[in-house]
Amino acid sequence: MAEFYSQLFNGLILGLLFAVMALGFMLILGVMEVINFSHGALFALGAYFALTLQPYLGYWASLIIAPLLVGIIGLFIEWSAVRRIYGKDPLLGLLMTLGMAMAFEEIIRIVWGKIGYSIAAPKFVAGPISLGFMWYSKYRLFMAALALVLLGLVWIFLEKTPYGAIIKAGVSDSEMVLALGKNLRRIRTVVFGLGSALAGIAGVIAGPMWSLKPTMGTEVLMPAFVIVVIGGIGSFRGAVIGGLIVGLSKSLTVLVWPRLSDLMMYLVLGIVLVVRPRGLMGEKSLLEQ
Amino acid sequence: MVRYFRHPMFITFAVFLILPAFIMKLGFMTLAIEVMIWIIFAMGYNILLGYTGLPSFGHGLFFGTGAYICGLIQQHIIAGTWIPILGSMLFCGMIAGIVGLFLARKRGIYFALLTIALTQLFFFIAFLWDGVTGGEDGLMGIERYALTFFGLFSIPIEGILSYYYFVFVILMVSLILLWKMVHSPLGSVLYATKQNEVRAKYLGYNSVLYKWIALVISAIFAGLAGALYAMLMHGAFANPMHWTKSGDVVMMVLIGGGLTNFFGPILGAAIFIAIRDIISSITEHWYLFYGLLIVFIILFLPEGILGYFRVGHASGREEVLEEV
Repeated sequence: MAEFYSQLFNGLILGLLFAVMALGFMLILGVMEVINFSHGALFALGAYFALTLQPYLGYWASLIIAPLLVGIIGLFIEWSAVRRIYGKDPLLGLLMTLGMAMAFEEIIRIVWGKIGYSIAAPKFVAGPISLGFMWYSKYRLFMAALALVLLGLVWIFLEKTPYGAIIKAGVSDSEMVLALGKNLRRIRTVVFGLGSALAGIAGVIAGPMWSLKPTMGTEVLMPAFVIVVIGGIGSFRGAVIGGLIVGLSKSLTVLVWPRLSDLMMYLVLGIVLVVRPRGLMGEKSLLEQ
Repeated sequence: MVRYFRHPMFITFAVFLILPAFIMKLGFMTLAIEVMIWIIFAMGYNILLGYTGLPSFGHGLFFGTGAYICGLIQQHIIAGTWIPILGSMLFCGMIAGIVGLFLARKRGIYFALLTIALTQLFFFIAFLWDGVTGGEDGLMGIERYALTFFGLFSIPIEGILSYYYFVFVILMVSLILLWKMVHSPLGSVLYATKQNEVRAKYLGYNSVLYKWIALVISAIFAGLAGALYAMLMHGAFANPMHWTKSGDVVMMVLIGGGLTNFFGPILGAAIFIAIRDIISSITEHWYLFYGLLIVFIILFLPEGILGYFRVGHASGREEVLEEV
């Protein structure tokens, strides 16, 4: 039973982290209609930046600065390349960001090398803690708390600020936002930077749990992707629920048939799509046209 | 008469016919066969992308499955060449037919999203089901058995030169079939669906059915290419089904100018494989240059080489538009 609880917790925490990742991916997809394949590479960059910064700045400062750097990189790639393909064939955006993902992965390999690194958990959350019914990693609980805080901040930003309202409107119909006199160009740049920073901070948080390697970006992109399709494009709640579903399906499958744990989320995706083609929380959007 | 000799189709056939005379000694035969196989794949895929306007990002699924099915039929049912190839085409067509029931109702970026998820699903099935597919090591021992013609006579294709011409003949047949198809009423309807699906619907065409047909056709050619590739490599692997590889065929169509020209994918496949081979022999960090190259092509050459030079006369699309 202890193993079940521990996998249950693993799944929930993984799900929260995936949700942070998927939110950034979804915002970019919704507002720009670009499937951002470089999202995983930005996640990996966040983790590697933290690896390099932590010895100098300590945990908390690098938790803030590493995602900021990733956000700046996001702003740069939006400004220099991605903005030129808005409104064109969706395939162009796919290919362009795929090219960027490859380039980033290779840059990581050149700068940090092929070998994997592991980041130690910060001292104040190192080691296990007793929850009464089982022992559990302190760092993972800390991750859950961080992910919840981040999700809360994004929710407040999207639901309670005028800027969030504009972004949400952009997800459902970006041309209408333009027609209403908003500076769509700037909104798009900001959303790309924000989405990248979310990927970066997810990378920083995930660092101590996973080992860092150049391919970690490609591995983590697909969960984000599946979450967005399961949850429905343009829905905050969908991303969180989708994240939890993917996290749990991955970890609970380990109990029954470990080999299938990577496959499970695609099977869940298939079932969801048959029942609800737009995803659990998805609404009709312009993306389908 | 001269008109025929200047036709891109004729030039393509002529080039590939005499190519071995120049490259046989240099040891580029495998590479040339690979180019022809990718041309078959990319031309079939272009029926879906260029002519019907459905951006599939998961066609590696059919290429990879075709390779596996070829090997599985050889090893479990019949040790031949024709039946495994036909079986691969049929099986890929069937998979496309099934997933197409669902996919054909989608389009645009949502279509792309779903095809990526599908190819990942099949990648993991192939990767994990190692009892059947060989898992990480791949399905090895796929042979190039001699071609038999109803037991009357047989031609060995184990040698690299004979296999080259075997693939060459299949390439010719495929290109002629695709050319006929594009210039048939079916091709016109597909193109109309791309231009304006609602209008095609109002004209009385069942656009979902036609999108489904385009998907199945492209999958059949992908299966054919996959089977030929398996025989070339003497093995089938899960790698082409991974989403990071699914962009390859799309890039080939795009580089050459397949979105505006029937012959774009031929040029694109040749250039793509040449570039990949050259860069990867110069530097181990070829992914960096390849990635940047993709970004630059999308930025500065989005219509591909033939599109850039406004070579569009051979596409026959203008006629198509008038017909519909």
